[in-house]
Amino acid sequence: MADLITRPDSRLDRAPAASPESLAERLLETQAPQRPQSTPRIRIEVDGRVVEGDEGQTILEVCRDNGIEIPTLCYEPKLDGFGACRMCVVDVEGEDHPPISCSRTCEDGMVVQTQTEEIRRLRRTNLELIFSDHNAYCLPPCQNKCPSHIDIPGFLKANAEADWRESTRIFKRTIPFPSVLGRVCPAPCEEHCRRDEVDEAIAIRDSHRYAGDQVIKAMLDDDVEPPLPFERQAPTGRRAAVIGSGPAGMAAAYYLLLSGHDVTVFERDPAPGGMLRYGIPQYRLPKVEVLEAEYESVTRLGGKVVCNAGLGRDFTLDDLTNQGFGAVIVAIGCYDTNKLGIPGEDAPEVLDGLEYLRTATLGLPYPDHAGKRVVVIGGGFTSMDCSRTSVRQGARDVTLVYRRDMKDMPAANEVHEAIEEGVTTIFQAGPVRIVTDEQNNVTGVEFIRMKLGEPDASGRRRPEPAPGTEFTIPCDRVLLAIGQGPELDWLEQPGNEGVTAKRARLTADAVTFETGRTGVFGTGDVRIGAATVVQAIAEGRRAAYAVDAYLRGNDLSAIRTRQTLAEPQPEFLSIVPFTSEVKEPRYRLAAMPAEVRNKSYIEYELPYTPEAAMAESTRCLQCTCEAIGFCDLRRLGIEYGTTLKTLEPQYHQGAGYRSVTENRFTGVNHDYIRDDSHAFILREPSRCIDCGRCANVCAEVVGAACYDFMRIGFDTLVTTPLDMSLNDTPCVSCGRCAETCPTGALMPKPRVLQKYEVDESRCILCGICVDACPYDALRDGPDIELAQTSREDPMIDLMAISAVEMDTEVTYIRREADWATRAAAEGRLIDAGRLLPVLPATTRGLPAGNGHDGNGHEGNGHTALGSGHGGGHAHPK
Amino acid sequence: MVNRLPTPSTWPAILLERADAADPTDLDAAAAAGVFEALRRAIRDLGATGTIATVAASGLRGRGGAGFPTGEKWRAAAAVEAPRRYVVANGYGADPATFTDRALLELDPYAVVEGTAIAAYAIGATEAFIAVRAEQVEAIRRLEAAIANAEEAGFLGMDVHGSGHDIDVRVRPVQGAYMLGEETVLLKALEGRRGQPEQRPPHPTERGLFGLPTVVQNVQTLAAVPWIVRNGPGAFGAIGARESPGTILVQVRGPAAEGIAEVPLGTSLRDIVALAGKLPRAARSFKAVLVGGPSGGLLPRDLLDTPYDFESLRAVGAHVGSGSLVIADDRACVVDLARLLTRFCSSEACGKSIPCRIGTKRLAEIADRMTEGRPRQNDMGILADLSADIVASGLCDHERLATLPLGSAMRYFQAELDAHLLRSSCPAGVCQPIKVAAGRTPKTPVKAS
Repeated sequence: MADLITRPDSRLDRAPAASPESLAERLLETQAPQRPQSTPRIRIEVDGRVVEGDEGQTILEVCRDNGIEIPTLCYEPKLDGFGACRMCVVDVEGEDHPPISCSRTCEDGMVVQTQTEEIRRLRRTNLELIFSDHNAYCLPPCQNKCPSHIDIPGFLKANAEADWRESTRIFKRTIPFPSVLGRVCPAPCEEHCRRDEVDEAIAIRDSHRYAGDQVIKAMLDDDVEPPLPFERQAPTGRRAAVIGSGPAGMAAAYYLLLSGHDVTVFERDPAPGGMLRYGIPQYRLPKVEVLEAEYESVTRLGGKVVCNAGLGRDFTLDDLTNQGFGAVIVAIGCYDTNKLGIPGEDAPEVLDGLEYLRTATLGLPYPDHAGKRVVVIGGGFTSMDCSRTSVRQGARDVTLVYRRDMKDMPAANEVHEAIEEGVTTIFQAGPVRIVTDEQNNVTGVEFIRMKLGEPDASGRRRPEPAPGTEFTIPCDRVLLAIGQGPELDWLEQPGNEGVTAKRARLTADAVTFETGRTGVFGTGDVRIGAATVVQAIAEGRRAAYAVDAYLRGNDLSAIRTRQTLAEPQPEFLSIVPFTSEVKEPRYRLAAMPAEVRNKSYIEYELPYTPEAAMAESTRCLQCTCEAIGFCDLRRLGIEYGTTLKTLEPQYHQGAGYRSVTENRFTGVNHDYIRDDSHAFILREPSRCIDCGRCANVCAEVVGAACYDFMRIGFDTLVTTPLDMSLNDTPCVSCGRCAETCPTGALMPKPRVLQKYEVDESRCILCGICVDACPYDALRDGPDIELAQTSREDPMIDLMAISAVEMDTEVTYIRREADWATRAAAEGRLIDAGRLLPVLPATTRGLPAGNGHDGNGHEGNGHTALGSGHGGGHAHPK
Repeated sequence: MVNRLPTPSTWPAILLERADAADPTDLDAAAAAGVFEALRRAIRDLGATGTIATVAASGLRGRGGAGFPTGEKWRAAAAVEAPRRYVVANGYGADPATFTDRALLELDPYAVVEGTAIAAYAIGATEAFIAVRAEQVEAIRRLEAAIANAEEAGFLGMDVHGSGHDIDVRVRPVQGAYMLGEETVLLKALEGRRGQPEQRPPHPTERGLFGLPTVVQNVQTLAAVPWIVRNGPGAFGAIGARESPGTILVQVRGPAAEGIAEVPLGTSLRDIVALAGKLPRAARSFKAVLVGGPSGGLLPRDLLDTPYDFESLRAVGAHVGSGSLVIADDRACVVDLARLLTRFCSSEACGKSIPCRIGTKRLAEIADRMTEGRPRQNDMGILADLSADIVASGLCDHERLATLPLGSAMRYFQAELDAHLLRSSCPAGVCQPIKVAAGRTPKTPVKAS
């Protein structure tokens, strides 16, 4: 009452013309809980830091308010501490057993330690115990094996629904160029596809190639913008320069543009593309139709490409700094072909394979190539391109010589096609000298047979020369394709100081990509040596992440953990059961016959039909956890080193992956059945860690009490009574359980959401929709009753009623729906965990997106496709 | 009715003072023996704070296992500002093989009822519950008869002894698992919710039944209260050990005899074990005594001089627990015994906390592997580490005590564990299919009854 007395009369201050207080305001004033004027503050010491909190707060609340992170799994911010997960244990001075911080009230002067060795050990033991009964899996093997960790099951699922645009969007989250990769990727993912255990691996590469081609086609024919993987950030006004327009550089540029930065790409050659343009022949990657079209997605975002500008030739790093670029990414690739180091190598007819391809990929015949006898030395993709291009350029004989066995070739997949086209191959032979005549013309190459010795670091058997087995292959021209290194002459030039190299690679950090010079980053082949296109793109994307942080002024050392967490970890795997899959062979791409294609530069693989592309993607077993990325258990597992990789490194090599449940406590574990009977909530009890959050939220926040702890002992499980379907419980489909679940045990069911609109001007208030709605989404409300009264009694002055600002529950919630935004605008701090419960859609007003994953994909063909994939809740036709 | 073991005449009888009454529910006979004298005294002479002070001065400690000072607990509950307070008498007797609480309830229901009423008066509670296992029909019948008689005579109910204070005592039959012995679990059960423990603090004295201050006491503790009020705290303090005065009911089970007995705290284990008679001569020798029920510790012959009190037992890796002592002779395999006990604790876990639900299961699995002769490389190390971590991060005492059987086996019977682990042999010849140690005749397998 005190404040009523001391507060000046509000009516005196107010201008007389102001409208009277609304009902809601008056209600709020009278009904607001009478909080004490101020709660006493207390001080505690946490990790050597004195922090303040209100009396009565728990240790966890005080720590979180002060930005000190304590891990939790069972803690639900809206409820009291529960104490099931034992993850939030902290050390309090003077206590025998460490208390749990979520239920322990702070006392003034408490000394708390949150990260001692002992505490971390307890948490780690707990996590190991949880994992030993966590019969689940995180990432599918294909996604693990992809250097860029593409969401392969995700885009295949979209493909299977013929949603090529969504498929491409998912793909572009990690790789911007689905069509290019669909042609040139060695597809390490397919080697590990688990469909192989049923029949044959999925054609993952050909599938994204098809989806990407559809998007390109739509862009070129109908000028449809390619989909963006994320919402584009607001412009930051900062400028970044990327040197090199190869896959690494362009990927970095693409993701930096999405982050809102201004990007200029410098390319030393007349056209962008790097190795994609000048290293990979036309028949594998059409330049105009695919490469340029795909690169257009970068220029459409506003990326500028400056050609004929080479680092060290036309400009220095200092020049870029002077032009106002805040960050520079060096992604110049590897163009320096290695030397054999044998006699006769300096003969004019011994050619650099890359130099040869450079001319050939431009579509120009290389001088005097027709009719020549050519020997290609090497076993990688460059040697493949050299020999197959030589065939197309009319060489009389093309012989490919590789020192190891065929199966150990980096390009082992492609060699069969080369042989079909007429290339002769000789394995296990190494060059000894180039045979030349008096005019220094090449007449042949002398080789020595290699025998295979002990396996080396790469797991392949080391070739060793067998003396006395020398032989000579007569030839006129030799193409060297035995690997490349970066050109690093520019390091010595003035204006490029600070950047260093080590062992013929640019020195740059593997996570933050920093070089020795502030603001200069190195990524791609120039950092890791000649690698595949997909590795280069993964490098570029990660570098963009670091550069974005740098440009925004964030701490780069913090990127280490964040990058590690953001990047899918190849650590959690398990066996995905598949028993009843129908055997269905892989849909292969048709190819032109060898006799035709070895004379032409036209792309020789024929694309899928739409039906084949859908059918192929439908074969995917979808061995993935839907909660990946949102799973607290996984995050803590990585943080506390309880993953297979960290626990048992010896099992992390080769194909020896084992399951999540294996650690020192491995024993009996549970394998429950998935329940997808409910329309909106998917239950996967095998992923349940029995934290009880869903049960507590459902009972105490929602009031429905669908779940509880059932059974006893080790078999305890948080589930519905008698494990019944959620449909049979008092479930109101509010989704709070799925929202609070720290793992993937309860998930919003993936479904295509529809947008409905109610035209209130046409509503006759018949109430049929209210009667028919199975989930009480529409209800009789005060609005409807008001309308009925006014119809019965026309004498009521509707104008007078509408003049009074009558607040109802619905209008109140509508008005207050954005309270959090307004609070943030006023500078008040809002704990995200304390937001209001999700309001019924009818009161919120219809959101712009579909709410499912709403960032930046609107109206993309869901409606056009109709109801083919409504997840069991098909809407009426 | 359970067998009562004869005890030396020098041992005082406090809890079983009136145990020989012909009809335990006969109020007239009981009143002649002094029943409700203490309640009158507490109300008329001592007052609420005086009663608490008397109990505190006597040094009485909770018989439920932890041995928390009773006076302190009452004082804490009385100090919390609250609209109502409760007293809960825990007569659940969680250990399924021990009948000490049940014997007390059946033999002298008035002692429990009076003790409960005094506690309710002292802390200012008007409602008190006596929780009894629902299947103990006779105990419930006698308690209800006793309460009805007392209410009729005006010892309970409205305005007790003209104090203006209402004391309403009710019997609440509860049905549940082992975990119900834990006080916060019992409170949940009385509220009609799933029996799972709550993190303490806050203790029930601050936030207990229905969120209100509650004193939860074992029935033995409450039964001692009237004696203390009648005879004074000094007399009580003179009995038993210095730090743990008074007597306690134990149930001794040995090859020769079994039954319950009232023993002063601080009596040596040897004397208590002797109550069960001497072991038969024929080649059978004492091997271990399991002190504390299913989650108790296995103590060897060397430790028989340990006094039976809260601190001494904790120090040697056992606890008072349910008051049960089981004697194992050399026919028993300690590893097998510890395995069975751990498995019981694991399967009786409520499933709330991770160290309990999964941790105790893993302990039991390690023991399984040992007795089956297929241990993993580092099982001993994992057993020790996991036990330590469960004790450190556990939610309630159930999981902490569940580590005791295997922990005490590791501590005192390492040689027998090593025989299982390193030589795949079971010296007692119990564990199958482990081969029996050389030089001993294999035991004939026990026929399944």
